[in-house]
This record gives sequence, C-alpha cells and structure tokens, in this order.
Amino acid sequence: METKDKEVLLRVEQLCQYFKLGKSELKAVNKVSFNIYKGEVFGLVGESGCGKTTTGRSIIKLYESTGGNVYFKDQRICAGNRLYKDAIAAAKEDCADTVRGYEAEIKEETAKNPANEATIKEKYHRLISEKREETSKIIKENRVAIKEARDDQRNCDKKYSARRVAELKAEYEPIFANATPDKLPEIKKEYNKKLHIAKRERLVTQIQMIFQDPIASLNPRMTVETIVSEGLIIKGVRDKAYIQEKVYEALEQVGLVREHATRYPHEFSGGQRQRIGIARSIIMRPDLIIADEPISALDVSIQAQVINLLNDLRSQLGLTIMFIAHDLSVVKYFSDRIGVMYYGNLVELTSSDELFKHPFHPYTRSLLSAIPSPDPIYEKKRKRITYNPLVDHDYSKEQPTLREVLPGHFVLCNTAEMEEYRRIAAEKDLIQKAE
Amino acid sequence: MEKKIDVKNLKISFRTNNGKVQAVRDISFELYEGETLAIVGESGSGKSVTSKAILGILAGNSIIEGGEIIYDGKDLLKIKEDDFHQIRGDKIAMIFQDPLSSLNPIVRIGKQLTEAMLLKNRSKRRNCGRIFKHYMVLLRKHADAGASAEEAKKNQETISTFEKAVFKGIEYEIKYNDAHEAVVDVLENAKNVLFELEKNVVKDIVKECKEIRTYGLRAKNRFVVFNDEARFEDALEKLGTLAAEWHERDKKVKKEKAIAKKRRVEYVEPAKVEIEPVLKTIIEIAQRVSEFSKPSFVAIGFRMIKHEATLPNADIDEMNAILMKEMKTEFYDTFEKTLVRALDDSHNCSIANKKAAIDVLEKNRDFFKNNETFKEGEANKYVKHTIACVKSAIDHMEIKKDNLSYTFNTTLTHAVGRYFKGINRNDKEQARFDKQTQKIEKIVAKGHIPEWSVVPADIVNIQEAREHIVFVIDRIINHFNDSIRDDAFKAEEVSNEVFSFLEEQASGSVFKVTQRMAKNTAIKLMEEVGIAEPRRRYRQYPFEFSGGMRQRIVIAIALAANPDVLICDEPTTALDVTIQSQILELINNLKKERNLSVIFITHDLGVVANMADRIAVMYAGKIVEYGTALDVFYNPIHPYTWALLSSMPDLDTKEKLEAIPGTPPNMIYPPVGDAFAERNRYALKVDFVEQPPMFKISDTHFAATWLAHPDAPKVDPPRIVTERIARMKRLAEADNGNKG
Repeated sequence: METKDKEVLLRVEQLCQYFKLGKSELKAVNKVSFNIYKGEVFGLVGESGCGKTTTGRSIIKLYESTGGNVYFKDQRICAGNRLYKDAIAAAKEDCADTVRGYEAEIKEETAKNPANEATIKEKYHRLISEKREETSKIIKENRVAIKEARDDQRNCDKKYSARRVAELKAEYEPIFANATPDKLPEIKKEYNKKLHIAKRERLVTQIQMIFQDPIASLNPRMTVETIVSEGLIIKGVRDKAYIQEKVYEALEQVGLVREHATRYPHEFSGGQRQRIGIARSIIMRPDLIIADEPISALDVSIQAQVINLLNDLRSQLGLTIMFIAHDLSVVKYFSDRIGVMYYGNLVELTSSDELFKHPFHPYTRSLLSAIPSPDPIYEKKRKRITYNPLVDHDYSKEQPTLREVLPGHFVLCNTAEMEEYRRIAAEKDLIQKAE
Repeated sequence: MEKKIDVKNLKISFRTNNGKVQAVRDISFELYEGETLAIVGESGSGKSVTSKAILGILAGNSIIEGGEIIYDGKDLLKIKEDDFHQIRGDKIAMIFQDPLSSLNPIVRIGKQLTEAMLLKNRSKRRNCGRIFKHYMVLLRKHADAGASAEEAKKNQETISTFEKAVFKGIEYEIKYNDAHEAVVDVLENAKNVLFELEKNVVKDIVKECKEIRTYGLRAKNRFVVFNDEARFEDALEKLGTLAAEWHERDKKVKKEKAIAKKRRVEYVEPAKVEIEPVLKTIIEIAQRVSEFSKPSFVAIGFRMIKHEATLPNADIDEMNAILMKEMKTEFYDTFEKTLVRALDDSHNCSIANKKAAIDVLEKNRDFFKNNETFKEGEANKYVKHTIACVKSAIDHMEIKKDNLSYTFNTTLTHAVGRYFKGINRNDKEQARFDKQTQKIEKIVAKGHIPEWSVVPADIVNIQEAREHIVFVIDRIINHFNDSIRDDAFKAEEVSNEVFSFLEEQASGSVFKVTQRMAKNTAIKLMEEVGIAEPRRRYRQYPFEFSGGMRQRIVIAIALAANPDVLICDEPTTALDVTIQSQILELINNLKKERNLSVIFITHDLGVVANMADRIAVMYAGKIVEYGTALDVFYNPIHPYTWALLSSMPDLDTKEKLEAIPGTPPNMIYPPVGDAFAERNRYALKVDFVEQPPMFKISDTHFAATWLAHPDAPKVDPPRIVTERIARMKRLAEADNGNKG
C-alpha cells in the first residue's frame, strides 16, 4: 500500500507510559512509534494487558505520558520528559565511568614509569576535561528539550490556535491587497468570522474516544441529550437551540431517533448504548476517533450493527479511526493497517492484507493461529502456535529494534531475524507464483 | 453411549411485576457421556436459565412449569436442597460468565481453591463409606439365597475377608499416594531448575535444590519401589553440595565482572560447576518411577491379612502380577461366585416384583383414567400404593441406575400435585382475573389510560393434568414390560465391574485430602490452566489478577472437585482471542482426559466449531435448530442460524455484514407464531400464525422452521453464508486431495 503520498494525521514517536508499582515501574507502553494517515482505519491488536488501551488513552491525554512525543496535525500534543532525563543520567554515568577508567590508567602507567608522571597526568587530565565538557553539553541540550516538552504539554491548544491564526493571516494578506474597495468590507467580515473561530479552536477536542463498556461509560443520572451535548457545552457553545439541533443530528446519524434524547441510558439495549457513546464522540466533529474495543462487550448480532455503523460514519464524515480490539477477524475486516502489540512493545506494523499474507513475528503468528472460524473440520485440525519470548528469540547478541523488513512492513527484530524473515517472504512469494 | 443428562419438556417462567416472563418454553435435549453440547443464542434466549435449572440455582422468582431433568437416577427439578449438595460442584460443576462476581474478593485464591476440595472430600468420604456399607449389606442379604446353612456361613466369611482385605489395602494406598506425589514434585522441580539453568534465569538454586532433596527423600522413605535407590540417593546428596557451589561461583562471577567492567579490563570466567548431569539423572529416575502403574491394593491387603508377609521386592508391574496371581488362586474365584449369586438373586427378585407390579399399576392407572374427578385422600392412597410397587421393583444392586424407576416417585407426586393445584386454585384465579379485567374496563370506559395491566390468569388445564398422570404411569408400565421382555442379564458379565466399583468406593471412603495435598493439587491445577508462578499466585487476592487469569482460576475451582459434567456459561466472552483459544483448548483437553461431558453456552458460533459435537441453537426460549456440528455449520436450515453465521466477519469477508435487525421479542407476551418471524427476512405468512414444529432433516438434524416443510417455497441462505460454506468445502476437499 502506498503510504508516502498520504497526509500524516497522527504521529507517535517513542511513546512511553510507565506506572509506578511499589518500588519498580510497570512499562505499560514502551517506546511505541507509528503514524496514522488521514482517512484510514488503524487497528491495534494484542492480548489483554499488552498496553493497547493505555496507548489510546495516552494519545488523548488521559494520562500524563512518561516519555516520547505525539504529534497531531504537526503540533506536539503529548511530550514526556523521561527519555531526556534518562539521557542525562546515562551521560552522567558514562562520564563518571570514563573518568574512573582514566584514573586507573594513570595509576598503572605511573607505576610502570614514574619518571613521566607529569606528562601522563597532563595527557589524561586533558582527556578528562574534554569528556566533562562534552557531557555538560549533552545535559544542557536535554534540559532545554525538557523545558520545551513541558511547555508543549501544557499549551498545545494555544499554540495550535496561534498557528491557525497566523496561517489565516498569511492567507488573507494577498486577498486584502488585491481586493477592490467596494468588496473589502465583505471580505473583512468573513475574515473576522474565521479569525474568531480560529482563535477558539482547540486541538485535543478533535480527537474523541469511544469506550469499551457502554454501561460503565454513560452516567446513569444524565439523559441522553445531556450526555451527548456535554462536549459542546464544555467547548463553550451556549446557544441551546443550536445544541439541540446538533444532538438530534448526531442521534440520527448513529441510527437513533429524536425521541431517544430525553431518555436515560438504562432504557436502552447494549447496542443502542454503544450508539449513544458513538453519538457523543461524533458531535464534536472530530478528525480522529479512538475506538477502544467498542464491540467486545456486545452480542455477535449487535457487533455487526456497530461495525456497519462505524463504516458508514467513516465514509460520511471522512473520519480517521484508531480501532483497538483483540478480535483479529473483525480488525482484518475493518482496518487498513494493523499494529500488533505485545507487552508494551509494538512488534509488527503493516497493512492488513500484508499482515495476513506475511506474518513475520512469532507473536503475530500465534495470534493468527488463535482465530476461531465457523468451520468444524478446519477447527479440529487447527493447531495453535504458542509464543514464548524466551524460546523464540535469541537476543543475547543484539537487541531488537523496529525495522522495515519489506516496504511498509515493520517488524521488531534484530539483523539476523530480519534476514531470516526476508528469506521466508521470498520463498513464500515464489511458491505462490508457481501456483 | 450412555446418557448423562436428559432434559425433557423443560418449561421455566419468571414472576415479574408486569406478568410472567416465559424464559424457557418446552425444550428437550440429551447430553451423552464424553461429548460437548453447545447451546448457542443471543442474550435473553434462555440458554443460561436452562443451565441454571440443571444446577438448581434458579432465581427466587422462577416458576418451574413442567418438565424433567434426569441425572443419575434423580430428577433435578424435584429433589431437595440437601440432596443437591451432593451433586452441585461435585458431580456437576459450572464455570460462570463473570469471573469477578463468582470469586470472593476478600479470600485468598489458594483458600478458595482448596476450600471446596477439603469440604467436598469430607462429604465424599462419608458418602463412599455409606454406599460401600449399604452394598455390603445388600450383598450379605442376597448371597444366601437358596444356599444351605454351611454354604451361607462360608459366603459370609468370604465377604468379611473381602472387607478386611479392602481396608488393609487402603492403608497402603494412602502411603503410595503420598510417595507418588513426592516423586512428581521432584520431577517437576528438577525440570524447572534445568530450564532455568539453560535459559540463564536462575532465581534461588539453593532453595530449589533443597526442596528437590526433601521430596526425593520423602518418596524414598514411603512406598515407591526403586531399582536403583542408591543411585537416586547419591544424586540427591550430590545435588545439594553442587547447588551451593554453583551459587557461590555465580555470586563471585557477578561481582568480579562488574568491577572489571568499571576498570575496562577483560574478565576470564572460572570453570563452570557441572550441575546438569546430576539433575538429568534425577529426572530420568523420577520419570521412570512416576510412570509406574498403580499397584492393586486389594491384592496387597489380601496378602497382608492372609500371609502377614512383606511385599515382594520387585518392580511394581512385577509385584502386581505376583500379587494378583496369588489373590486369584486363593480368593477371587470364591468371592466372584458369591458376588454372581447375589447379583443374580437381586435381579431375579426385581424381575419378579416387576411382573407383580404391572397388574397393580394397570389397576391404579385405570382409576385415574376412568374417573373424571377424584378426591384428594383417595388419590393419595393410590399414589402411595403405586410408588411402593415401583420402589420394590428396583434392583438396588445394579450400578447403572434405571432412571425412570428411580425418578418415578417425584414425577408422579408432582403430576398429581399439579392436578389438585388446578382443582383448588383455578376458580380463585379465574375470579381474580375477571375482577381485574372489569376494573380495567371501567378505567378505560372513563377515558383514562390505566397505569397497570392485567396479570394473565394462571389456569391449569385439569383434563391435561389428569392425562399427564395416566401418561406417567403408562410410561413406567411400558418400561417394565420392555425390561421383562428384553431380559438378558448375565451376572458374570458385570461382576468385574461391580468389583472395581466396590474397590473405588472403598478407597474413596478413606481417601483423606490433607491441607498439603490440597495445596499441591491446587497448584498443579493452576499450572494446568496456565497460570505462571502458581506458588506466588496462590497467596494473592482475586483483584490482583487480570480478567483472563481470573477466568482460569474459576475453571480451576470448577475442576478441583473432578466433576462428571461441566457447564460453561460463556466462559470466554470477556477474554481476548489468544486466551480464549487457550481456555478452549484447556477445556477440550480436560474433556478428553477425564471423559467429561460438557455443556458449552455461548453466543459466538465461531467458538464452538472446534469444541462441539452437537449444537443446539436457541431463540426466545425454544430450540430452533439441533444437530451435530457438521450439520449446523455445513447445512444450516433455520434463518436464525443463517443470521448468526452471517453477522460475524471472518478473515476473507469483504462485503457489508448482515446484522440482525431489531431486538428479541418481549417474552411476557410471546408471539403467536414463530418468535423469530418479525426479524426474519425469509418469514412466510404461516410464520406469523402458527408455531413451526421440529422438522426432521436427517437422523441427527432437526430444525423448527416452516421452511423445512415439504410444501414451503425454496429459499436460499444469504450469499455470505453459502459462499463461506462453499469455500470451507473446497478447502476440505483440497486438503483431502493433498493427503491422497
């Protein structure tokens, strides 16, 4: 799949999310990087506890991210400073180690020839001071980065609206210059209106989330109207008629009717409740929806209704969806690209067809082998592949990184494994061609 | 195959404020030994209610309107709560949908796992003892039939000897169990240490090796017979010292390496401590020992009381052969003769009683058949008489229970009770209904909208109830006639079975589960269901586990009692695919190992393809399609099955999914015709008028849809289903071709 021409909507770089766990830390998300392009459905799969929900929640800033950056529309919205702090600590330790090493060497060499003590000392002291300078430079750079990150984390909305205003100004400057005097007031009016909107534009409200459990995520004491309109009110809309109109519109878009607006969540069935959750997210006209297992808690027949609805909305509103789920057959049906997560790491990332054609990482293969299918004869023969990282990998020589094995196909592996994977893929293609 | 559970015409309703909700409407199915029956349907289709009825845990507002659930000579719908304690958890276990709500949040996992084991063991011991004693009494009673006084004395002596031998043998069994367990512990621990050494993730080698040594010595000091005891002991001793050395070296190497790294000096490691060969020796011996077959404890007991000699010093297989030969020549033949005579006598008695009972039963049936009405007192007299007749005709020495005779008591009492309930309450109920209807009519006449609705009258059809009584008695008469006609009982054939049954009961009566054993079993179970570090997890609370882990704990608890029948109520719905398939595999393996019968409830047809031998699709309290897995998946007939199949995507689905429109019907006022008609694209006119009966498609395949009627128009299933089936068939053929 050609991804290069597409506009990147969300860019996640080395995202880390750690939780304190007594003395130690739980690395729920560990240096995960991926891009989401405009208009696509990005599926994130993995077993429970692998950090896929945490990734979604970090992106929408429900958690303060520990490290790494998230860029939405080229504006940094999440910026953790752990990586910079780590870099500082590593530099300091490295410096101390080197200095200790040099001192030991001084002792040894002076013991060998005590006559040259002065020159040896001078030589090593020069080296030591060079090292220290270098280290302090690194520390300084990282400290600046930390400061910037904190600033971005707090003020990303303001920065974004400022950027929008600047863009608008740049856009209208030539128009003002060229406009005839009789048309100028009209253009100015339009310009002011747009400026007004741009000043209030908030970035993070353009990402919305659909939660897993439709019962727990709706307040039982609020009517559907208050639930759905809450986002608009928080955004600052005060016009009640406008809000009501928007609520009705959203409800109709998700297949509910106007009368439902005055009811309470408990009066609805599971599928309808999930529709309310979807209406709540689309009323903000988001560009990106993070759907966190929206169908896991539903009956099979209703799952199909919700998937069809999401598919329709996607084509109607031009949404980009990040679809978090554990059911691979649904993800395959629904997504353009798929990322596979295992214990906080992204182990494979590629288009959905490619993933099912060439599953490289052993964990992906074990996931694929676990999909049940409504075919008894096939099922009786199906053999589940178990994945044990201790057995399946040999990382004693080289640690794995996310590498591009085939064009657009990223796998977490080291060099030896990458070559192995490429060989397998070539062989497979040959066999298919022969057939 | 033997029927394990037989559900007949089950009907269950729930009393609610708005009226009676008909949750289950007349369903029948059987569960055979060692098979999996899957019940598939949407939420609210009554599948969970059915399973809860089998386990006797229906909610308080439930009404059982009729039907029977027969298990092991008991009708589960009609037995008392005390009797249920013997069955629930012990014989029939259930895995619930929501693992968090079925675990106690303030009790450690270990306690919850072992609690049932310890409690159940007490009642099981008592029960086994009771059965054994009861059987012995029966044996004594029937053994003397038609024998001279001298023979009778001899017979009684033989039986006494058997009893003594059994109890002596059990003493050895306890020792053997302990030793065997220790050997298995040694094996597992040694394997674990070896794995850790290979992968270089050793935690505490000294402690682990110490444990191995303790278990090994315990095993040696008890019962298990070794060939190379000395070698084993030597290896154990060596292991202790080597482990200490290994540990010392490891500590030293780590320390020196760190220093060398700081100084940037190359470090040469000292020679390794060779611990693996010793471990391998231990594993090899333990493996061999753990694979020994179980000794025959009755034979051991017999030798002990007869000869008071020590056990022969040989392998267990060899020893078994010697002992069995000894017992066979000296004792078993005489005992078998006695047993055969007793069994024959008991059976003959039963047949004679059956012959005698038939006349009485026919007379009593005619009383219920010919009289239009009868008084309660009179009827009760007849009922009592009938029940006594049937009871006397039961052969108590049979191991396979004759369910119909055993449950006759409750069935008849219930049927008669229902008749008199109708006689006594119908008038009152009708009066109430009339009164309420009048009231509501008045309100409507005034032009108001009433805030309440009339509760439908609950009227028993007296004619039908009477016919049911006659039917119940008729059924038992036919059954007796059949068993008299087809009488081909040979006591010689079953005597071996009875012998092993007695052995089993005897060992059960003294088999004591200690805390340590319970803990070991629990830890083994936790390992079996795939929980890592069971020893640490054993001491944790439920909230420290993730969803999948909790579900595994619940499965482990269900399996702890070693049940006959396992009911799984959506065990994998809350879990993700990998864990789902692990748990399905686990249930499948356990089923094979323990010959379990499983009832598997789910809404996901994909899940059951691997598991199920037969599938029942339920909708709105009725079974709409029923057949083997191949029937239902490759030749689905009912539109609801089509809808279920087409609403889920598989890996090759590209087109739009077909969701089922609407929601299931309100079961307070169930639809007149087919309940699925309103949501059905293929509904015929007749579907809205009349309920379809079960049509027979093939010997194993039934479907309740008018589409299966010979006069119905031909309708093809949705394209998504037909295409998938065609693809599956192609795959299967291609595979067969490859093999050929």
